[in-house]
Amino acid sequence: MGGPAEVEARGTGSEPADEGPWEVRSAVRAPEIAYHPGRRAAVRRGPADPVKVLMHRHRDLCERAVDPLEIAAGLEAHGLTDRTAARYRHRDVFSLAEELYARVPAAGRSARAHHERPGPDTEARAGWTLTALLPGAACLATAGALRATEGVLGGGARFAVTAAGALLVVLGLRLCLRAGPLRVPAAAGGATLYVCWLLGFAVYGDGLIAQVVSGGPDGHWTAAPAPLLGLSLALAPAAWCAHLFAAHARRRLAGSHGLSEFGARVRPVLFGVVALFLCATTALLYLAGLGHPGPGAGLTGPAALGALLLLARLLAVHGFPEPAATGLAAACAVEVAAPFLVLAGRLPGLDLLARPVDAVVAAAGPGGVAVLACGIAASGLLVHASVTLTRASAHASA
Amino acid sequence: MLVRIGLLTDGGYPYATGESRLWCDRLVRGLPQHEFDLFALSRSADQERQGWVRLPDRVGRVRTAPMWTREEDARSPRRTGRFATGLGRSYGRRDRRRFTAHVTALVGAVCAGVETEPGAGGADTRPASARFTDGLYGLAELARDGGGLRDALRSEASVRIVQAACRAPGTGRTVHGATVPDYLAFVAELERALRPLSLDWYEEDGLGGVDLCHAASGGTAALPGLLAKRFFGVPLLVTEHGVPLRAHYLAAPEAPLGAPVRAMLANFHGLLAAEVYRQAAIVTPGNTHVRRWQERFGAHRDKLRTVYPGMEAERFGDVGEGDDAGGPGTLVWIGRIEPAKDLIALLHAFAEVRRAEPDARLRIFGAPVPGAEGETYLAHCRALAAQLFPDEAMDAHTVGDNPVTFEEIGGPEVPDLAEAYAAGGVVILSSVVEGFPISLVEAMFCGRATVSTDVGAVVEVVGGTGVVVPPRNPRALADACVALLRDPERRARLGAAARARALELFTVEQNLAAFRDIYLDLAGHAPARWATPVDPRDPAGPPRPFATPPEAHVLGATRPGPVATRAPAGAGRVPSWAIGATGVCAGARGAGDGDA
Repeated sequence: MGGPAEVEARGTGSEPADEGPWEVRSAVRAPEIAYHPGRRAAVRRGPADPVKVLMHRHRDLCERAVDPLEIAAGLEAHGLTDRTAARYRHRDVFSLAEELYARVPAAGRSARAHHERPGPDTEARAGWTLTALLPGAACLATAGALRATEGVLGGGARFAVTAAGALLVVLGLRLCLRAGPLRVPAAAGGATLYVCWLLGFAVYGDGLIAQVVSGGPDGHWTAAPAPLLGLSLALAPAAWCAHLFAAHARRRLAGSHGLSEFGARVRPVLFGVVALFLCATTALLYLAGLGHPGPGAGLTGPAALGALLLLARLLAVHGFPEPAATGLAAACAVEVAAPFLVLAGRLPGLDLLARPVDAVVAAAGPGGVAVLACGIAASGLLVHASVTLTRASAHASA
Repeated sequence: MLVRIGLLTDGGYPYATGESRLWCDRLVRGLPQHEFDLFALSRSADQERQGWVRLPDRVGRVRTAPMWTREEDARSPRRTGRFATGLGRSYGRRDRRRFTAHVTALVGAVCAGVETEPGAGGADTRPASARFTDGLYGLAELARDGGGLRDALRSEASVRIVQAACRAPGTGRTVHGATVPDYLAFVAELERALRPLSLDWYEEDGLGGVDLCHAASGGTAALPGLLAKRFFGVPLLVTEHGVPLRAHYLAAPEAPLGAPVRAMLANFHGLLAAEVYRQAAIVTPGNTHVRRWQERFGAHRDKLRTVYPGMEAERFGDVGEGDDAGGPGTLVWIGRIEPAKDLIALLHAFAEVRRAEPDARLRIFGAPVPGAEGETYLAHCRALAAQLFPDEAMDAHTVGDNPVTFEEIGGPEVPDLAEAYAAGGVVILSSVVEGFPISLVEAMFCGRATVSTDVGAVVEVVGGTGVVVPPRNPRALADACVALLRDPERRARLGAAARARALELFTVEQNLAAFRDIYLDLAGHAPARWATPVDPRDPAGPPRPFATPPEAHVLGATRPGPVATRAPAGAGRVPSWAIGATGVCAGARGAGDGDA
């Protein structure tokens, strides 16, 4: 730029690093500045190491920084320029930042312990517990109403009571599955259909198999509503088991140093949760069976169904909806195939097809088909879950 | 010549709440002979909801993409349940191998750090920058071929790769001590940073159809420009008014991240910045401070051209050209009141000035920064002023007033900004922290002598046309003010020099002229990417970059064909530029046939 150089940048004696008496400077002062001879500058004796003062002033920044450029950015945000850095005998702010980075003891650069945030479900515990108890309560009320009015009301009224109860149960189920630990971020399409079929088979399937095996469906076959009551009561333990699994997994995540280590720590949690749920479901089914002394529906089949449903839901909640749908579909396929195989075995020459189903029914009764189907699917899903749910990416909080 | 420019922004121009939208708007409106296509990334749902500013007609296409969505891509419900491999549902075996190789290279480079010697790595001995670019462009090609990069980046395979890379020999102590939550956090942040790779802009009618990419800031906004250069050879121009790496360091993330994650993210942004500067044809920093950071990251000096941001100068024209030198003995301070502006030092300096010049006045114009901090600071300053300066009056019978006044622009005395600058003879800037001092430039436009502290870009802005003192030094400030107050000729000289400098460097016109030159420069040097008609006399010759008229870009225009393929015998010499171009020549052979 043209024109006389008018820049007058003077360092006066107020910085700690300057030495030298003020009087020497006065001889070279520009004449037009008014000079008060009575004024004596405060010559401060600063420390021999001015960088130490800077280190102390920006202690927080230096400890948090992960590389020298972060310190440089912070210093510049506080107003340091290259000319100020010259006071600290550095060429520019970058080299000053490197010295600071090298000198500050690395307190914050080591990985700080993560203070673990509780998951969103832990805080809303009361909310989803109540909604999980709703379907069981509705089912219990319906069953109780039906038992109490056994001889009193006619068929139409009983049907109305049953329908109302079913509606309540479905509504409660939807409420429960919309929030809380059983909430699924992205659902696979066919899962609802499969679940409905499996539940229906749990109620009517034994009677159907028994009739088909013994000679053909003779009209209205017996229904066993006890499993349905037990399973709807088991929804609350299912929600609690899912919550326990997620919470324990998150806690183990915070403290683990390697992916395989995390997997080894979470696998027992998974098996424990499934075992806990099985015990709870068996107990509830037993109690429900006591209240409905009907054709003994057996405990194993509905318990296996419960385990299958829990595993499928866990997989879907943690981001694997397709394997869940596959497991449910496999169980459905086996259950659909069983009566068809028996019926097809009546055709001339195809009686080989009915042999496996007959063998199963002979060994374990008509409930064996459900046990086989749900049991195999559940164990398959358990194996899959022990691989996929023990991965760290399934428990990422984002 | 018409140049089609793809303007890339990140949380910027078309959005009403975007930063740097003002200069983009001035750029687009100020260069009407070029066409602009906007490619904007949005930063938050709030920003998208606020809408756009009004766009001029010159803007061709606007394509936006959100960078803040948290859900993953919609998964297609497959009836045949494909068991999730560790990788994601959409990759076959070969793609999986490519993905693993590229992510390993990228993450290895990020974990190893920016300044590792080539021989330090274990398996891969290339320097970190080469591995980073391999990984980045490989992932970009993978995303362009198949898509599904977002799911794959969040899968278990990536976490395993990150773990392996963190434990590799040669990583720093911070990165080595990362735990599993750190891996997950880093994978999430990496996926968010690489979202621009999955956009659908990289086609012939998207970024492939522009002549030049102009990134309005570095970092994320320049990433689509890098890919456009890689896929289509479009030259890239990067303008930075602030340092993106600095902003990354100083920004607080939503969730507090651990030290290893921050180290890896810093490495990632550093490597990305270095790659951007390497691939850009020209980089324009907004001031020397930004330029220093760019040189630190390896930007070559030949590519750097400082283009100062432009400011409106017309409203200060009257004050600047007028003869009024402001109120006698009046010092003026204009700005937003916050602690970084250090008004307390200014008040102490004014106390010293009053001792030398008892008639001096100080007028402080400004509103406090919104928030409690600004308000309390203003209250402190007022209290200090009341303590230091008692009210004065002419004699025993008149009502007195304070030599220091706090006023707001827009009141009855000072209706606008130019009047505020006109009120005094000397304008003071006493900040402790400053970026690019806008009030100083406005004072220079008004032709006022300035006294400012040496912070930020002040020395660069002022040049030699004002007095610069060290910060936090009221005595130096006072001495400089007294000197200027006592010397009206010097004030006038400095003011005139300041106005000349401002008119040369900081007006909108010089900003636009600089960009216009840069656009033509880049467009002219770029290889001919449109199919130019072959020179009929020299089919194997070099491509002719200016051979297609602008209308060739418009759909439906016919290809230019030769007007005169062969000169008829005896019809006179047909000049060579008439052969091979569609002419609108009135003197063509067939034009006068009807009459002749």
